Amino acid sequence: MQSLRVIGRSAAVAFADARAIYTWRTWTFGWLGRMLAQVVFFTYLGTKVGGAEQTVRLVLGNAVMTSVVESLSVVASTGWERMSGTLPLLVAAPTRPVWVFFGRSLQWPVSGTATSLVALFGLAPLFGVSWQAAQVPAVVALVGLAALGSYCFGLLLAALVLRAYGLRNVVSNAAYLLMMPLCGVLVPAEVLPGPARAVGALLPLTHVLTALRGVVAHSPPAAVLVPTGMAVLTTIGWFAAASFAFDVLVRGARRSGTLDLT
Amino acid sequence: MIAVSASGLTRTFQGGGQALERFTFEVPRGEVHGLLGPNGAGKTTLCRILSTVLLPTGGSASVLGRDVVRDAAHVRRSVGVVFGGDRGVYGRLTARQNLNFWAALHGLSGRALRERVAVLLERTGLTGRADERVDHFSRGMKQRLHLARGLVADPPVLILDEPTAGMDPIAAHEFRDLVAQLRDDGRTVLLTTHDTAEAEAVCDRVTLMRRGAVLATGSPSSVAGLVTSQDRISASGVPAAVVAELVARPEVVVLDGSGGDRVELETSGDTTGEVLHLLVDAGVTRLVRGRPSLEEAYLRLLRRQGMAVDR
Ligand SMILES: Nc1ncnc2c1ncn2[C@@H]1O[C@H](COP(=O)(O)OP(=O)(O)OP(=O)(O)O)[C@@H](O)[C@H]1O
Ligand SMILES: [Mg+2]
Repeated sequence: MQSLRVIGRSAAVAFADARAIYTWRTWTFGWLGRMLAQVVFFTYLGTKVGGAEQTVRLVLGNAVMTSVVESLSVVASTGWERMSGTLPLLVAAPTRPVWVFFGRSLQWPVSGTATSLVALFGLAPLFGVSWQAAQVPAVVALVGLAALGSYCFGLLLAALVLRAYGLRNVVSNAAYLLMMPLCGVLVPAEVLPGPARAVGALLPLTHVLTALRGVVAHSPPAAVLVPTGMAVLTTIGWFAAASFAFDVLVRGARRSGTLDLT
Repeated sequence: MIAVSASGLTRTFQGGGQALERFTFEVPRGEVHGLLGPNGAGKTTLCRILSTVLLPTGGSASVLGRDVVRDAAHVRRSVGVVFGGDRGVYGRLTARQNLNFWAALHGLSGRALRERVAVLLERTGLTGRADERVDHFSRGMKQRLHLARGLVADPPVLILDEPTAGMDPIAAHEFRDLVAQLRDDGRTVLLTTHDTAEAEAVCDRVTLMRRGAVLATGSPSSVAGLVTSQDRISASGVPAAVVAELVARPEVVVLDGSGGDRVELETSGDTTGEVLHLLVDAGVTRLVRGRPSLEEAYLRLLRRQGMAVDR
């Protein structure tokens, strides 16, 4: 209960940041517009080289990818805590830091989920995907899960680069670029070499996309539920890893006297 | 009962810098204790160790009997910290939202949270600006917010590192009343300051630090007494003949006798009574007898260091 309240109050900080960065107008015409253009561009290129099945893979993958990109902003925004000088105060408070950091950047997966849903319901029909009302709840849940899973993965990266603040953009861009081929956005997992496939299987996005393609293809429930379960499990795993990484970070900084991180 | 104690507390930084060197002191419960010392003396380092933000490299420290290393979680629940400066607030949030956030981190919720935050905004004089974004606040207003944040969990022990830095004189004065209230609540306050008058006004006892160790500790007047056992007499409207007579006495040290009818003297023991008689008999009524101030003791104890910071 206490941790939920901490997440809630930290999310209030997150949305105050978001309001300072975006207005409705800049979000809709700036951010959303840019992301939709990107989805159309990549998918359109794909139609030139692949068949209908590959086109569906690309439009679903790129549409969901927009939420991943935005969720990975947690790597940069966790560093804002350093600049505001609140880290020592967070450590001095009787709460585990991971709850604060989890709430602290929640604006990204929320906004990312909205972007992806607009792309899926607005753009995917242009590339041969047709939606039925009964599919909507599953699609919303899966997109939210993709955003949350990438967010938890990003939270781990954030903990790792909090000391090396200059690396934050390099790391989140590298993560994003690697997820494109590894998670089945561009090509089926079967064409990947074994180790690459194994890495992909650790990322929630891979499983969400498998499940989403199952929803689109009206596959039997197991073909959707099994990968969904895998996505949930990997998400929990990344969250646990992030939590551990924040504890290690704090312990090290208390020892070295670098908590101020100015 | 002892609220805060340190024993042989040592902190060395990578590169060999030693911020605390076998620092030992005790603060009883309910005391307002001042930490004084030049820049770099180790005051902030001590505050950070006591608030569990920094680990010591030697010795030990405890708060309300709980070790700050082994039992950090417990210590965090009983200590409120205020580190001075512009930082440590969320600029994009209002003052009230900032306090809501920290109150939640300290386990408050619902009505208890709202009431506590309202009381603190009132107590720190921020009620009128409570719903403004903090990045537009002046330094002193941020400092008040820091103070409110430190009190949010209603902690029995407060660690205040230069809480009045940046406050205007009126606010700094109100701060003295606030500290008095905190003492009346029965809280223990550890306070660093560069303002000796402030320390003298609000502290039950002070510790004078230098190079990470204790130089002197005691009530402000007893610390002041360390530098001299002399009485201090200053008088004005003194006839010239009397001034001359005082200057002539070998057992009287004249600190300032150049200002015409004003004199400032240091005497001790029986001489003090004789000098007072002499002045009163000469019809002098503007007369102050006192002990040297804490400021003077501070300056004398540290004078040789000049402008140099500690190490
Ligand atoms: N993280 C750190 N790494 C290296 N040295 C440090 C660190 N923090 C403090 N020091 C050193 O420890 C010494 C004591 O610093 P501290 O900040 O405790 O002094 P202070 O008494 O609070 O000074 P001031 O009055 O200027 O606030 C200084 O020499 C300082 O340079
Ligand atoms: Mg200091």
